[in-house]
Amino acid sequence: MADPAVEMRGVSHRYTSDPVLRDIDLTIEQGEVFGFLGHNGAGKTTAVNILTTLLVPSAGTARVCGYDVVADRRKVTECIGYLPSDVRLYDHMTATENLEFFAKLSGVSDPRKAAAGTLDYLGSSDLGPLRMSTFSTGMRQRIGIAQAIVHQPRVLFLDEPTSGLDPTGVRQLRETISRLNGELGMTVFMNTHLLSEVARVCSTIGVLNHGELIYKDSMAKTTERFPNEASLEDIYERMESRPA
Amino acid sequence: MTRVIATQLLLTLRRQRTFLALLVTLLVMTALAGLIGWISHRTIFKVYDQAVLLLAKTGSPAPPNPFDTRPTLALLSNMVIYIPLIGALMALVLGHLSLADDESSGIGRMIFSRRVSRRNYVAGKMLGATTALAAIMAASLVVSVVSLLIVNGAILSAADLGRLVLFYLLSLTYLMAFALVGMVSVLLTRRRSMALLLALGVWLVLTFAIPQFTSGLRPTASLNPITDPVSTSQTFFDVTARARPLSVSEQYKEASTRILEIGTAESVSATTLRILPTGGLVLVLAALTVLLVDRHDYSRSSAHE
Repeated sequence: MADPAVEMRGVSHRYTSDPVLRDIDLTIEQGEVFGFLGHNGAGKTTAVNILTTLLVPSAGTARVCGYDVVADRRKVTECIGYLPSDVRLYDHMTATENLEFFAKLSGVSDPRKAAAGTLDYLGSSDLGPLRMSTFSTGMRQRIGIAQAIVHQPRVLFLDEPTSGLDPTGVRQLRETISRLNGELGMTVFMNTHLLSEVARVCSTIGVLNHGELIYKDSMAKTTERFPNEASLEDIYERMESRPA
Repeated sequence: MTRVIATQLLLTLRRQRTFLALLVTLLVMTALAGLIGWISHRTIFKVYDQAVLLLAKTGSPAPPNPFDTRPTLALLSNMVIYIPLIGALMALVLGHLSLADDESSGIGRMIFSRRVSRRNYVAGKMLGATTALAAIMAASLVVSVVSLLIVNGAILSAADLGRLVLFYLLSLTYLMAFALVGMVSVLLTRRRSMALLLALGVWLVLTFAIPQFTSGLRPTASLNPITDPVSTSQTFFDVTARARPLSVSEQYKEASTRILEIGTAESVSATTLRILPTGGLVLVLAALTVLLVDRHDYSRSSAHE
């Protein structure tokens, strides 16, 4: 049986005295689109920072694609793509130059071809020769996703990918995520506040409340479990209001 | 990976207006150094010629022109002032720009989620900064040679060219120290503006405050290559005179004047000793940069939860 895409066992983290993550146990199978929900300060970004090897957890172990994020950092970085929130790339470089740079950092054998192919796949070839400084938020986000997938990772981490996007941008992002998952088989781990998008795109959801994972299940079972709720927002509020 | 990081830095610098403006200023100043040297040289010769005419009228013999023996490279003496002023400022901005984008815009997070090690990253940044400064020094060398060619109407001798190359190599080392100050300041502060202010503060202290103190508070010391302070029995001046070897800026200027043969002659070992503080400072700052990048928390380079 294949290794889970993401596996966290007893992961805790603290920046100062207060813990940001508390004893998280989470498994995400390959091919899933996972929506990680939680209020501001719940610890979602910290969890992604640990899974993308940027942060060493204070306790517990985390594995991505079967590799430990601390002991096998290099192996983990080879199989992940990451788009932070509020993405900004090198303003003085063109979109293509940025993509080639990140492709080279990932050890892609033909960075030029990879950059052109990725832009073409996302329908953004027209942005390639333009400098990033001239881009709108939506355009930056498209190139941000392109840099995250230019080396064709197995697991894609998106941190608040819809922030700052207009409704058209949100729709395009939703379509992109569905395509990456459906056509390329990428596992997607998405931190978000936009619950309506989670309902449309994600196959599984998890809810983080003050550093604790209070809920995790498939979208199908979630809607089954909360049959009387009118929308995902209601389910989310009900889960968060439950005592931890 | 090191080469990839270095190439990206060079590409970005090439397109930074602030950096380009400082580069052009330095090159213009290099050409001006030759021009100013030539004008003062011509003025002195005119005065000498007039003195010879006056002496001839009175029937007195004219002494030989003392400036005939002046070294060829003396025309570029102002470069010894421009490098610590404009050159160091440019290096500071270069060092700042090398890391500031990655820090303030969160690009560092994307870089370190790739298979890039911290050591590769910092080595790439240092390689890129050194290459950029070396290219600038090479351009300044070419401008100097052309200026001297135009002013003197003759090609530089191999010995003079060697001295000029040596001067620019020393300048490259000196500027690298300031590029590293620019990098370290970015790693020590969270805000980009504070980083630049801190770096400028260090530049001011190294270029003006310490030379002023270590040369017995003589007002022109920070601008001109200086001779040893006047001998004095006062303890304060004794202390400042003894602290002079620690003044990197002063030691650079003095070593440069010796290399260009415009200062009082001294042994090669004495000049080498003057270069040591600059070399030492570069090594210390490089080690500090590596240490800070190693320990830096790139996950917090933008807002985190």
